[in-house]
Amino acid sequence: MINENILGDFKKALKSSRADQTELVCESEEFYLTRFAENLIHQNMGRSDSTIWCRAIFGKKIGVSRSNDITPDSLIRLIQNAEEIARNQKDDPDFNSLPDSQSIMKTDGFYKKTFDHSASGRADAVADIVKRAKSDSLSCAGTLQNSGTSLAVANSLGTESFASNTEYRFTLTATAENGLAGWAQAAGRDIEKFDFKAVSQRALDKASYKTDPVQLEPGNYTVILEPDAVANFLLFLAFLGFGGKLLHQNRSFMSGKFGERIMGENITITEDPFHPQIEYLPFDYEGAPKRKVTIIENGIARAGVYNSYYANLAGTQSTGHALPPDNSYGPYPKAMVINPGNYSVDEMIGSTEHGIYITRFWYLNFLNPMRTLVTGYTRDGTFLIESGKITKPVVDMRVQQSMLEAFSNVEMLSAQQRLIPQYGALMLVPFMKINNFNLTAA
Amino acid sequence: MAQIEKLAIDAVERARSLGASYADGRYIEIEDESLSFSDGSPESVNRSVDRGMGIRVLVEGAWGFFGTSVINEKEISRAVKYAVDIGRASATLNDKPVKLADTESFKDDYISNFEIDPFEIALKEKLEYLSELDGMMAAREELNTRNSHIDFRKTVAFFASSEGTRVNQKIIHSGVGLELGISRSHRERATRSFPKNGGQYECKGYELLSEYDFKSEIPRLAEEVQALLAAEACPSKTIDAVFEGSVVSLLIHELIGHPLELDRVFGSERNFSGTSFATVDRLGKLRYGSPIINVFSDPTHPHGLASYGYDDEGVKAHKADLIRNGILVGYLSSRETAAMISARSTGAMRADSWGNMPIIRITNVSLAPGDMTFDDIISSVDDGIYMSTISSWSPSDDRSSFEFGCEIAREIKGGKLGRVFKNPTFSGKTIDFWSSVKGVADESSWKVWGTPNCGKGQPGQNARTAQGASPILVSDVKVGA
Repeated sequence: MINENILGDFKKALKSSRADQTELVCESEEFYLTRFAENLIHQNMGRSDSTIWCRAIFGKKIGVSRSNDITPDSLIRLIQNAEEIARNQKDDPDFNSLPDSQSIMKTDGFYKKTFDHSASGRADAVADIVKRAKSDSLSCAGTLQNSGTSLAVANSLGTESFASNTEYRFTLTATAENGLAGWAQAAGRDIEKFDFKAVSQRALDKASYKTDPVQLEPGNYTVILEPDAVANFLLFLAFLGFGGKLLHQNRSFMSGKFGERIMGENITITEDPFHPQIEYLPFDYEGAPKRKVTIIENGIARAGVYNSYYANLAGTQSTGHALPPDNSYGPYPKAMVINPGNYSVDEMIGSTEHGIYITRFWYLNFLNPMRTLVTGYTRDGTFLIESGKITKPVVDMRVQQSMLEAFSNVEMLSAQQRLIPQYGALMLVPFMKINNFNLTAA
Repeated sequence: MAQIEKLAIDAVERARSLGASYADGRYIEIEDESLSFSDGSPESVNRSVDRGMGIRVLVEGAWGFFGTSVINEKEISRAVKYAVDIGRASATLNDKPVKLADTESFKDDYISNFEIDPFEIALKEKLEYLSELDGMMAAREELNTRNSHIDFRKTVAFFASSEGTRVNQKIIHSGVGLELGISRSHRERATRSFPKNGGQYECKGYELLSEYDFKSEIPRLAEEVQALLAAEACPSKTIDAVFEGSVVSLLIHELIGHPLELDRVFGSERNFSGTSFATVDRLGKLRYGSPIINVFSDPTHPHGLASYGYDDEGVKAHKADLIRNGILVGYLSSRETAAMISARSTGAMRADSWGNMPIIRITNVSLAPGDMTFDDIISSVDDGIYMSTISSWSPSDDRSSFEFGCEIAREIKGGKLGRVFKNPTFSGKTIDFWSSVKGVADESSWKVWGTPNCGKGQPGQNARTAQGASPILVSDVKVGA
């Protein structure tokens, strides 16, 4: 994995550029993952890689080139390649400038114990789960991964940023002989704080239910979503609406609605890279400092997240949410938090006369992006709630629901939040009790 | 390349000396070039090169793997040591040693089919191509969203195994696509894409771009966009439905390709992509579809996005039947999973890069063409619906049921295509759906459609697959909006 010395290599390489502005970005990762299924490790791997991007600009012509060869000669070739692309490009009239150098807040998301967690340590952890699973005649599948990541950004305007962090992620599906399954996952920066036993036990307990699942009729139900399911929705909401590019193109469900209520009063969503449980890298892929952004405040649309390009178009400041230079999606939030409520999960279940407890969703996809209507399935831990108690498992059902409507019908939020990984993002979200949630036959 | 080959061969030998019973080394270099235009401006021009080496070992009957992008002797030695250590850690839990189905060993060079190497074409010419395409769309003044893209990939790979296989491969892919639309407000908008949503990708060179007559397609698409803005939502009913070839392609992908991946059948994807209803006890017995359904895997097809000479464990590409006359007769397999059903690998083991372990991926999985023309199919439907261009897909985790959405549907009345419906969706059970296929269009409308973004595995891998398909007629399909 790269260290801060790469900024020296960048500085030298930038001097060779003939472009008006030049940017070099390097993301470096040492990644390990142990994958198991049927109570056996079937895939166990490590990877060391560094991706480097150059963005060269002549006037308003932009060229981007990428490689994973970080030798000094390669840096020079990368710059030349980006220059050639830029020279052949047409003007992008909306481009203003790369970001100037700005002060970056220091964060400390690098934990040596996480980085050094060994293959034998991961195998021991899996062996412990398998032992507990076998004692209950369950079969386990899952992953345990640990990684370290460094990001370095330098540009010809003086930006020089470097930071590193670590991350662990854990997922587990336990399955009983009758097909009943339970799911749990966790993520964080410091593996020493990870309560491996407690998290894995959640999945084992769900799969250990002795009653066969019941089939329910399609309809509108009161549901209690575990944080995993909430995060599944939040990922899609962010994808459909929180980024500056979508807002600029009038394609976001928040376009033209800032100041208007679009969700329930009890919903506040912030992008908070500095939250102590998230500890995201303090700057983005163009070296701009990350800022906390209140996206939804008490149900009212407040703001999106921006990189320098779309901030310029929107007449605002970058919030530090640029993705790598060759992405075409635009800025995106990767550290979202939904404010908690005041209820315990037991109170939420106890207040439900007839409802469904949903662990997570599967294969959500848009049916009508304008309505934020998604389709998908419940999976790995769906239970019936009767008279304030979880009584029996339910055969999984198809979800067909507008996410904005769901977030407008939230009756209760838990005080407890969980940190849920969703692709490259970490989300800190509570349980939600939602009324009138549409479920159909699978 | 000779130096890299030596590094890979030395790595395999070193792994053996450290205790691996089997080892392979894969060097992969992927060069990508992607260009896109949006609303009259070049949105992006990106070039990238990604290369590295992955070492896979079997130690005490368990897998270990390490990949690195630093290609020198010292780093490759580190990678081998890590791979063996990781394999040894895996073995502490595994009481069933991995067995590999036999394969021959090969020494070969494979180059995919292409006429014009897209990496020999000047950037300027490519940008002019996109500018012209954008100009064709801009000529329709009613359109106010216009996107187009072209993409090229060159993969150069070397594979060496401890069983003596040494294979070099060079494979070229090209892609092209456009999306046009009218956006009047956040809610009042419509789009159409061509040749399909996300574009068409094939194992071809730059010549792919000249195979599409965009000039005559764009006016048709523009008219369909206008019709969509005025259209009613697709009615909810159960009805005969005809599916365009590219829609059938994704149906094959999601509802046949994935459930027949043998690693998935054996539970390896239980925690992520899911399981399969097509369990091995049903092999040779399961009626998967009507008797006119014949599906096969064929990575030897000259132009599929999953066309190759050898898979990523050195198995030579070959054709294999999966469904014959509606009955399940085979799976997509690896050497490990094939051994579990006492079969030989169908050569479907692939990694998306040097940095991941190969897993079973959909190859070129195709539905054999039938004997009706597309016009015959449409004219055979008295009251039905015609679905075009997939826009959304959502299968259940065991692939036994699904709900898909399309960009556009048209009513079929008295054997003729009629009015347009917007936001069409259809859903059903996989076996019921394929068992209700009443007609498959013939060779004249059969095409291998590329899927450049198939996700599977942990860590996530993005494979390129293809599905050969022609339009089909299916009875009793539940449609809606």
